[in-house]
Amino acid sequence: MGEGVHSLHEFMLRTESITYILIAAALLGFVFFWRFLSERDEDRDYLGADRPGGEGGGHGAHH
Amino acid sequence: MPFPKVTLERPRWTPFNIVAAIIVVVGLAITGIRFTQGLAATTRLSDYNPWGLWIGFDLLVGVALAAGGYVTSAACYLFGLKRFHTAVRPAILTGFLGYALVVLALHYDVGRPWRLPYPFLVQQGTTSLLFEVAACVALYLTVLFIEWTPAALEWLGLKRARNLVVRLTLVLTIFGVVLSTLHQSSLGALFLIAPSKLHPLWYSPYLALFFFVSSIVAGLSMVIFEGALAHRYFHHKMDEAHRREADGVALGFAKAASWVLAGYFVLKVVGVAQADAWRHLASGYGAWFLVEVIGFVLLPCFFFAVGAREKNLKIVRFTAAWAVLGIVINRFNVGLIAFNYHLPAEERYFPHWMEIGISLFIVTIGILAYKFIVSHMPILYAHPDYEPH
Repeated sequence: MGEGVHSLHEFMLRTESITYILIAAALLGFVFFWRFLSERDEDRDYLGADRPGGEGGGHGAHH
Repeated sequence: MPFPKVTLERPRWTPFNIVAAIIVVVGLAITGIRFTQGLAATTRLSDYNPWGLWIGFDLLVGVALAAGGYVTSAACYLFGLKRFHTAVRPAILTGFLGYALVVLALHYDVGRPWRLPYPFLVQQGTTSLLFEVAACVALYLTVLFIEWTPAALEWLGLKRARNLVVRLTLVLTIFGVVLSTLHQSSLGALFLIAPSKLHPLWYSPYLALFFFVSSIVAGLSMVIFEGALAHRYFHHKMDEAHRREADGVALGFAKAASWVLAGYFVLKVVGVAQADAWRHLASGYGAWFLVEVIGFVLLPCFFFAVGAREKNLKIVRFTAAWAVLGIVINRFNVGLIAFNYHLPAEERYFPHWMEIGISLFIVTIGILAYKFIVSHMPILYAHPDYEPH
């Protein structure tokens, strides 16, 4: 338990507050991560499944 | 579709065969010692350290790395991503061999291995997590065996039996996902009973979640890694469809792995926050924890993303091996390194050379079995007499 934490309430307040901030940052980060991961996809949806008219996987891969 | 019957004259005594033969001979000798003179003669296990390398590596790592079976079959049959279909049989085979070898390793580790069926036949102990693990591993090994049988039945020419088993594909896949979810997480939950023994940076109420999520990463990475090895060493056994779809499988799985690793990284940080274990980061164990979380979770996440984005298979395959190593390190940390961290150095566990020998022996058996099956059965190609399922 960190300094200045003397009760379970203070411990929960501290750990939950930090967790909420972390989760908010993570959710925001996921948006940018999704954009980074998917911005070069032209014929696929975000899960990589084939779209109607799209081409199969792996085309243009660099060996 | 052409049936790839390629017969290559290869020398019998290749470096691989020589090394494998030595490991098998030494392994058989240690096996004799283990089953005639007991655990004391072959291990450094003690009352402080009742679980050693055979649990930390053979079981915890083995089960995690065998997760490719449920991950791939779920992607193909449950999520409808049929472009991963050619990866299903190799992944199921790896999973089946992985679990079979886990059970084999347990025979070495358990003091009285003939009592392994006791949880089912004599004393159930249904409130124990170990009972759940035992039940799920036994059931899932059976499921994987049935899922693998179509390849063996095609090889044996038993059409009716093969068609019967193929009809069970969807049910078996659902069973596989349910059982894997249960026991992958329960393996982590086993350590919840020892909050004072496991270092606070690794101990977390979310251990079950950590093990389950990381098993998905292990499964995805192993499929990519194994696919790369198969591409290199069994290229002549692959048909056109397998060769064509292999790149798509690697890139698709890399994308999925980068997402799951991103989530796993956040979960690990939340675990530290929930335990308020920040101050431990400034210790030696803290440095090692950061190596694991940054070096083997965050960086593979980034490089999987770069590989998938750039469609660069070299990066993807390298990162898959990296992520597999990360899973090994994580299971070692939880099961061995961060466990009993408070004990003095002389009481800490370090495996006996015979324990390492048996682990190598079991891995070698797995590789030899994989090699035999892939060389003889339709794993990397579709049998021309049967419709794909």
